[in-house]
Amino acid sequence: MKLLSIELKKGRRSGVFPVMLGVGLLGALYAFANFAVRKESLLSLPLPPMTILLTQLYGMIMVMNLFGIIVAACLIYNVEHRGNALNKMMALPISISGIYFTKFAILTTLVAVGIALQNIALAIIGNLYLPEGTFDAAVLLRFTVYSFVTSMPVLSFMLAVSSRFESMWITLGIGVAGFFSGMTMTTANSKLFLINPFVLIMEPAMSPNTVIDTTVIVLSISETIVFLVAGQMLMKHIRYE
Amino acid sequence: MEHIITTNGLTKRYKQFAAVNCITLHIQKGKIYGFLGPNGAGKSTTMKILLGLTNPTSGTFSIDGKQFPKDRIAILKEIGSLIEAPSFYGNLTGKENLDIIRRILGLPKNSVEDALELVGLSEFGDRLAKKYSLGMKQRLGLASALIGRPAILILDEPTNGLDPSGIHEIRNLVKSLPTMYDCTILISSHLLSEIELIADDIGILNHGSLLFEGSLDEMRKAAVQRGYATENLEEMFLSMIEQDNAARKTRVKL
Repeated sequence: MKLLSIELKKGRRSGVFPVMLGVGLLGALYAFANFAVRKESLLSLPLPPMTILLTQLYGMIMVMNLFGIIVAACLIYNVEHRGNALNKMMALPISISGIYFTKFAILTTLVAVGIALQNIALAIIGNLYLPEGTFDAAVLLRFTVYSFVTSMPVLSFMLAVSSRFESMWITLGIGVAGFFSGMTMTTANSKLFLINPFVLIMEPAMSPNTVIDTTVIVLSISETIVFLVAGQMLMKHIRYE
Repeated sequence: MEHIITTNGLTKRYKQFAAVNCITLHIQKGKIYGFLGPNGAGKSTTMKILLGLTNPTSGTFSIDGKQFPKDRIAILKEIGSLIEAPSFYGNLTGKENLDIIRRILGLPKNSVEDALELVGLSEFGDRLAKKYSLGMKQRLGLASALIGRPAILILDEPTNGLDPSGIHEIRNLVKSLPTMYDCTILISSHLLSEIELIADDIGILNHGSLLFEGSLDEMRKAAVQRGYATENLEEMFLSMIEQDNAARKTRVKL
């Protein structure tokens, strides 16, 4: 709890909290605006209403979430690198690995809150605009968890990158390059490319239906753990010089 | 004589270059130890080793009977430090920066105000640290080292960036600390006259090797024996460094 309160305090004026909450709200507003404007054309598609609700809006929401995660990961370690604050932390009786895990927990919570806001919006849209009796809360909940779990490898990867590079622009560059690599690889439809965390986050958006792919879930959880452990080990061996 | 910090054959090598070469230090409890040497002599590296910020290639050291990495947390609880440039969170105010350290050290809330007052930064406590001048950043760094009144202070060039009155103020503060709350200070500085005024013991480093360790009186005696100028610390220091550099050049030629 002490570490959490310290890390939350460090996050003041860093922009991390507004970015992720803003992405959540923006995604929710986008979903509302899009469905309100394109309701007729969307519902006339030859797909079940729940599939339309979840797959036709998720592409843009996913891009927002992806860039939100990249920017938030950049910012959360930028406060440590700028002003050499991390050097001070190393000379204090505090665990550097603990700081890393706490930052991961904060980002995870923020992403969860952002995705929750977006999916609450989808729930309201579903109740308001979908034909009566077609809205299925259980499907929405499953898809929410699916989109959250597939977002985690990118978060874990970007946090590891951000912790290593003092220049925020390098981290941002890697994030943008990752986005383009994801866009390219995801269309290739090869399971091998699922190793790329930026492909995993795009999986729910590329799916033509709301069926959850177990392979994607397993890979997402595994990659999240691998990047988290790797990032933490790198932090453990980080030296002042 | 009780030594709170001792090192034994401490060495730090970067490939073929020895930044610190087999140095053995003895720092007395409750005293001010002036660590002197030209740029690149190995002062900061030694201080970083003592704080566990970098691993020695060989040699051992103990701080208050404890050793790295086994007792890292216990050691760092006892040490306040300012190494090279001051480190801070630019997005936070001076007070918030110190509050983070206060929470880490588990200190009472009033320790923040106490530390700010100690370094004369009270009226700027609510200003963002990134908007501080260089001197104010240095004072904030000092405050973050002094907060909680640690038993050991490791200060690397603490008067860097301060104006003459600031240097005078910090010198008086550093000098008063051992009597104020019984702490031990390891301080490095390029301002030899400053060290001469405040230090009880001196350690002189050159090219990573310890040339001298002892009190100022002992240094004067040694200087007389070796035929060095003994006017002041600066003269003795320069003579010692020059002779060591000359001896090194001779060794290289041979």
